[in-house]
Amino acid sequence: MSKEKAVVGVFSYLDDLISAVRATQKAEREYRVYSPVRNHELEDLTSPGKSPVRFVTMTGALLGITGGFSLAILCSLDWPMRVSAKDVVSIPGFVVIGYECTILFGAIFTLLALFHFCRLPDVLRKVGYDPRFSDDKFGLVVACGSPEVEGVASMMRGAGAEEVEVRDAL
Amino acid sequence: MSHAASESTAEPVTYKTVNDAVLRMLEPPKFGWYLMLATCLLCVAIGAVCWTRQILLGIGLAGKNNPFGWAVYITNFVFWVGIAHSGTLISAVLYLFRANFRQPIYRLAEAMTVFAVLTAGLFPIIHLGRPWFFYFLMPYPNQRALWPNFRSPLLWDVFAVSTYLTVSAVFFFVGLIPDIAAARDRAKTWFRKLLYSMASLGWSGNHSQWKHYGAAYLLFAAFATPLVVSVHSVVSWDFAVSIVPGWHSTIFPPYFVAGAIFSGVAMVITLIIPLRAAFKLHPLITPVHFDAMSKLILVTSGVVTYAYVTEFYIAWFSNNPFERYQFWFRPFGEMKVAFWVMFTCNCIFPLTLWIKKLRTNIVWLFILSIIINIGMWFERFNIIVQSLGRDYLPSAWANYSITMHELGITLGAFGWFGMWMTLFIKFFPAVAIAEIKEVIPPPTRHHHSGH
Repeated sequence: MSKEKAVVGVFSYLDDLISAVRATQKAEREYRVYSPVRNHELEDLTSPGKSPVRFVTMTGALLGITGGFSLAILCSLDWPMRVSAKDVVSIPGFVVIGYECTILFGAIFTLLALFHFCRLPDVLRKVGYDPRFSDDKFGLVVACGSPEVEGVASMMRGAGAEEVEVRDAL
Repeated sequence: MSHAASESTAEPVTYKTVNDAVLRMLEPPKFGWYLMLATCLLCVAIGAVCWTRQILLGIGLAGKNNPFGWAVYITNFVFWVGIAHSGTLISAVLYLFRANFRQPIYRLAEAMTVFAVLTAGLFPIIHLGRPWFFYFLMPYPNQRALWPNFRSPLLWDVFAVSTYLTVSAVFFFVGLIPDIAAARDRAKTWFRKLLYSMASLGWSGNHSQWKHYGAAYLLFAAFATPLVVSVHSVVSWDFAVSIVPGWHSTIFPPYFVAGAIFSGVAMVITLIIPLRAAFKLHPLITPVHFDAMSKLILVTSGVVTYAYVTEFYIAWFSNNPFERYQFWFRPFGEMKVAFWVMFTCNCIFPLTLWIKKLRTNIVWLFILSIIINIGMWFERFNIIVQSLGRDYLPSAWANYSITMHELGITLGAFGWFGMWMTLFIKFFPAVAIAEIKEVIPPPTRHHHSGH
């Protein structure tokens, strides 16, 4: 958050949070929402559009299938030994290797993409985080300059925030 | 969680009650937990002693000898890979189909998958005469410029099982991240705070994280789903690609996959019933969940029974004397007890689940789940040992006797699996907090219209 202050609102109800987020978006302020659970309504409001994770997954899967078949083919050619009159490069037998490597690399790349886009590991959790946000409360953290603090805080209270706290933004 | 919420009479299920109920399981253990852990460790110790003796004195202690190149250890390998299966089915396949009954049980099923594959992975190594050379299976550059045979089903197995272990462990860990964060935020001791802070990777549940998390989780489920079909299919090809009577059959892949789901769901029930009683998870795990799992058992039992009957039909229809003899030998030969135990446990007892009262009778389900797993162990024993015992050459025929070392190592495997499960339920949330919350109506001040 680039501003000097962060106003943290703690909400018990999702609809209160959503109206506070809408007001924040309308005022074009920088914000972050914390939620104990994934919620599609909130997601559509705060992060419209699809996650780019899928492109990384696709890259991993393509690399996996290419790598799997290449491994089997190149290893067989490196020590060419005909077994039971089968071709040295016998593609049907290598399908399992290609298939498993597709899944393996696709999954590993998805994990790396998850870490990258979620900014994990995140040793210093972001300003405004409250342990209750993993329990039953929702949080809205809005960045603003010192003169705007009171306005943001009263907007949150008006929307139904249970607690409003002002912290120094990182 | 609509089922749980509607059936709980005490209080409605809310975000807070879910956290309370699940995180209560992580409180300091009581005597029963220590007793369980000590029992598991004792079994592991017995298994370790037997394996050590086998390494020092030779593989002959296992009773494997011609014609039984594969015996109890490979039976155990197939059994444990099968157990692993339903974890992925419940976590990934049912996630893609949006089956809400999976939420309270899938974490335990996933843990079961990871620990069962860890157990299964030991057996091909224990089975080796010189286990310290197990890495010969891996394609690695070596000074002899040798590579493994990529056309061999045994190498397919290495790739299939190691991919399965990796992907299921990743899927399991990713699912745990938000729940470990919830545990972190309530941890009281410095050790637990440190453990959960590290394991949760600093997860905060902000809107950007949830968005990418949801996308990644769906992709993991999509990747894990084909593994449900592929892993046990590949394991079945270890047999089906050979020419041994009783093994060389095209029905093996679906037959193995159905059997794996059958035994895996039974194992989930075996584990979840004591856990539910010990941690009072009745509001979260309700008769609706047991009813759904019982129906899954009933269906897969039907498929397995159909496969057994088909095997006999194929043997008769093939007019192949070796195949015909093999399928006469199984129910009427010297090792017939193993066949009839399998048939009774897997085909007859599960029929009781046609009765609705028994599908939700916890005591009966617990007993039945154990019966099924005994039956499924014998199924693998029949396939492997009976087939090898009656090969093409009558001069090579033999009957198998299990040795004490094999029994000890088999017991050790159950202890090893139990040890990981026991440790897991005390250190990590064994019920998925975030996913249960997803199916509870979110708290709203005004009427929530849904989305």
